[in-house]
Amino acid sequence: MLFLLPALVLLIALRIVPMLGAAVDSLKQGSASADGGEFVGFENFAYLFADPGFQSVLAVTGLFLLIIVPGQLVVSLVLALLLVERVPGLGLVRVLVFIPVAAPAAVATVVWGIAYQPKGPINATLTALGLPPQPFLTSTDQALLSIIVLMSWIGVGYWTLFLIAGLQDIPRELYEAAAIDGAGWWRAFWSITLPNLRRTLAFVVVANTVSSVLAFVPVQILTQGGPAGSTRLIMYDLYNNTFQLGDVNLGQTEVVVLLVFLIAVTAVQFRMLNREEH
Amino acid sequence: MTALPDAIGTTRTRRVIVGIVAWCAGFAFALPLLWMLVGSFRTGQETFSSMFPLSWRMFVPQDPTLDNYATLLGGEFGLSVANSVFVTAVTILVGLAICAMSAFALSVLRFRGAAFVFALVVLSFLIPFDAIAVPLSNLFREWGLANTYVGLILPGLANGFAIFVLRQFFMAIPFELAEAARIDGVSWWGVFWRIYLPLSKPALIGAGFTLFLFQWGAYLWPLLIGTEPSKVLGPIALANLSGQFEVDFGAIFAGSVLLTAVPMVLLLFFQRYFTASLSATGSKG
Repeated sequence: MLFLLPALVLLIALRIVPMLGAAVDSLKQGSASADGGEFVGFENFAYLFADPGFQSVLAVTGLFLLIIVPGQLVVSLVLALLLVERVPGLGLVRVLVFIPVAAPAAVATVVWGIAYQPKGPINATLTALGLPPQPFLTSTDQALLSIIVLMSWIGVGYWTLFLIAGLQDIPRELYEAAAIDGAGWWRAFWSITLPNLRRTLAFVVVANTVSSVLAFVPVQILTQGGPAGSTRLIMYDLYNNTFQLGDVNLGQTEVVVLLVFLIAVTAVQFRMLNREEH
Repeated sequence: MTALPDAIGTTRTRRVIVGIVAWCAGFAFALPLLWMLVGSFRTGQETFSSMFPLSWRMFVPQDPTLDNYATLLGGEFGLSVANSVFVTAVTILVGLAICAMSAFALSVLRFRGAAFVFALVVLSFLIPFDAIAVPLSNLFREWGLANTYVGLILPGLANGFAIFVLRQFFMAIPFELAEAARIDGVSWWGVFWRIYLPLSKPALIGAGFTLFLFQWGAYLWPLLIGTEPSKVLGPIALANLSGQFEVDFGAIFAGSVLLTAVPMVLLLFFQRYFTASLSATGSKG
């Protein structure tokens, strides 16, 4: 039992206690006051979901997930398919795609932040091609997309690695049988590659959803949720509510909303995996 | 040998195209890092003036200088990198010990409630740390752990993913080895220390790397808990550089290079172990 003690104490103190604490605080008001506040039932949740500001945060976060998760999945899958081909210097190409994973989120953020500057390299390239320069982070239409691109620079290489491993696990005999049946690439892709890659694809979708909904660094450093709330993702909103506005209970209520979402997403994954084993 | 139907490059022309596309993609991913490296060896002014009009000058410093690095390391940023190195090193050493011990208990020792404890570990693995970082930081302030090394290090120690990877590996070690040692009078501690750990180097490297990446790249937690200038970590110091009134772009690039170089070198060195531990989770998930 001594072997388990340190990890157990840490897990309980660092995960379970704050989770329960957030749940309790979400049902109270005035937790920061001297008397510890009072229970108000689900009033915080009712207030939050009726608040147009929070509705907009949910809409922005939803839009963000709907673009970044399928987008990264498709790009990673295409890259993975290319990187299991016989390419000269394959090992090096894989390293090049994967290497941004080494960059901490803060580094990716500040470097891309400079690249997005009005007189930065992306606009320099556009100008050289005879295209008009773009506003990127200062435009309500482009800011969220710019953040998605900078996060995908790290994310895509990471997911590609999983997909390469998944592709290599598909038994060669299946393709040999398909060759005898005279199947072409598309046919083999739909009938063999995709069905056999199901587990890996499901894992990537769930893991990517979980990590993307927690996106925080680029918003905090580059846009502070702006312009006009167009990049105000839920993590930044709850950070801001707790520390800038000082409303602990509202922030904790948002944490609970986030946790319920995360638990739901992982529960779906478990059900999918269980169903397959039967 | 004829190509199987999963191959895209079936003819010579198609193979050449696949090769070119793959290399272009790899180059595109590395490009921002290259630009960052080049930018760290020249003034911020030159970074911008070298791009209009667009030419090869963008990737070749005209007048290479180490000034950016000298400025950085002499100032507060140097202290923050030292803080990051210290916090991360302690996290890896203590964290590996804690994670390996619990993985050992969960895979080798038979005890009541093992399933419950494992469920707890899996749960903590599935609930990402950042999701509860804000409520936890309020608790840490009450516990007097704000702006302390202990406060910065603690959350990185027990990592569900690392425990999971190590447990998978320990399960593959034949139990007869432990049994034989026990009959010879070796304590469980001895079994762990002298049999399991020496056999598990790849898993330890993979798990250690996970702990490293988590702690080295952490941003939200040090932002919440390490705000005092003497306890600031590298990523926060970097963000502070870019938030100043007069932004020194050369310094930002140099700081970025410093913070990326450490994980990159380790990644290239240990890539094999890391990807092995990743694919173990991906497929058994």
